[in-house]
Amino acid sequence: MSYIKIRNLKYSYKDDNDNPIPVLRDVSLDIEKGEYVAVLGHNGSGKSTLAKLLNLVIEDYDFFEGSIEVDGVDITSEDMTEDDIYELRKKIGMVFQNPDNQLVATIVEEDVAFGPENLGVPREEIRQRVDYALKTVGMTEFAHHEPHRLSGGQKQRIAIAGVIAMKPDCMIFDESTAMLDPMGRKDVVETIEKLNKEEGKTVITITHYMDEAVRADRVIVINDGKIILDGAPSKIFAQAEILRSAGLDLPQCADLLLRLREKGIKLEGEINTPEQCAQTIAQALNR
Amino acid sequence: MSKLTVENVSFIYSAGTPFEVKALDGVSVNIEANRITGIIGHTGSGKSTLVQMFNGLIRPTEGRILLDGEDIWADAKKISAVRYRVGLVMQYPEYQLFEETVEADIAYGPKNMGLDEAEITQRVIESAKFVGLEEQDLKKSPFDLSGGQKRRAAIAGIMAMRPEVLVLDEPSAGLDPAGKKSIFEGIRKYAEATGAAVIIVSHSMDDMAKYCEDIIVMSHSRVAMTGKRNEIFSRGDELEAIGLGVPQMTYLMRLLAQRGINLPQDIFTVDDAEAAIIELFGGAK
Repeated sequence: MSYIKIRNLKYSYKDDNDNPIPVLRDVSLDIEKGEYVAVLGHNGSGKSTLAKLLNLVIEDYDFFEGSIEVDGVDITSEDMTEDDIYELRKKIGMVFQNPDNQLVATIVEEDVAFGPENLGVPREEIRQRVDYALKTVGMTEFAHHEPHRLSGGQKQRIAIAGVIAMKPDCMIFDESTAMLDPMGRKDVVETIEKLNKEEGKTVITITHYMDEAVRADRVIVINDGKIILDGAPSKIFAQAEILRSAGLDLPQCADLLLRLREKGIKLEGEINTPEQCAQTIAQALNR
Repeated sequence: MSKLTVENVSFIYSAGTPFEVKALDGVSVNIEANRITGIIGHTGSGKSTLVQMFNGLIRPTEGRILLDGEDIWADAKKISAVRYRVGLVMQYPEYQLFEETVEADIAYGPKNMGLDEAEITQRVIESAKFVGLEEQDLKKSPFDLSGGQKRRAAIAGIMAMRPEVLVLDEPSAGLDPAGKKSIFEGIRKYAEATGAAVIIVSHSMDDMAKYCEDIIVMSHSRVAMTGKRNEIFSRGDELEAIGLGVPQMTYLMRLLAQRGINLPQDIFTVDDAEAAIIELFGGAK
């Protein structure tokens, strides 16, 4: 059984005159426990809406059809109680774009404790969870710092720790690296990978950086409310034309190797990351 | 003489309180007309504070900002005139759209400058063209535009004042690749058409390498490096040490060099890399 099972999902929001504006048109999708999935799509493609529906940050069902099951529970059922929504948000945690909007306390460890405190977790266990969460994101030494004095990447890692402390099965990152400097981005991307590979979390990352998406195990491309591509990165990024017509691009290395192949240079091997790209070129030159 | 000169500028936030922070410390840089200059630096390096000084939003605690050789603070009462000459596009400028139509929003700046109707209309059309907004978009409510279009409308509003210095703080943050490209193309068109000094602040080394000729590197409230793009991005180790990096293609060249494959150092874009590697393989087949 899939961890997330979406069937024929349609969703519209209302404009000022109450006319429905379709955002998602017939999306069906299965995500297994432990997968690392990147979701790509142009601004307004519907990818963030999809993510927000998964833990019911959007609860307006006026123009909603289809079903979403999370861990065997139909979260779109009318029988969902407040408690059920609480349970759902324990399972699926979200990290957003702007770290400044996600931090609530004046001391790092209090901020991380905020989630479990609200879940009514016993004091002793909160301590353990906070320590574990800070360790996982590599911010233990900042436990007693003030969040507003940290760098963007550090703040974002605190926001991630706050979600980890709620012990979710699945974490969704909605453009969580968009506002970070290069080092901050690198730290956050490495943290995301660690959560998937070492902690076994199901990870869904929504991003405009193609170079981040290639690192996932699976890439889903959404265009105008529909899934147009779904597969391994090397398969997806071989489809330059479809990606470009969807307002996206290739990761630079994939673009480079595609162009070289078009020029008749024989290059065999993976194309996605700079490391793979360098190896592929070196092999072709017998070095 | 440079278009804009930053002369030994320091700035202290919350001076005289226990929360005192030195955001800029003895910064001196020159910014030239007819060029696009990029400013890069880690979060908190002082970039945003620096650019807010260019149009007098923040007054230096020490030092001077010279526009065409004149201190912009020589007469503090005249600082608002500087804001028409130096246009500042803040981060996420689309949050500042407020008029009923895109046209009215773009016209807001020129109207405040007291220009006549015909001139305003002309500037609105010209600015919309720079950023690639269609004529039919001008009649729409800004709130009916897509995210990327909203951003472009907000930038057009600053361009309509036709500033001699155009400063953009993270103009492409949060946009998809196509949206990002159209923003930078618009900026380039403005630069070419007006000869303005254009300054872009960004965290994307790839975009900086692609669109900027000169680069200023900030680190811990000071200027760490200034120079031409190829000079700066050939100092990859130093950039990494201050929390930055090099464009991805430059990084690829370094990886190849480690495998004994030496290619030119001034490679920043996929176009550059393609040309160099084809040569390595003995030309196109």
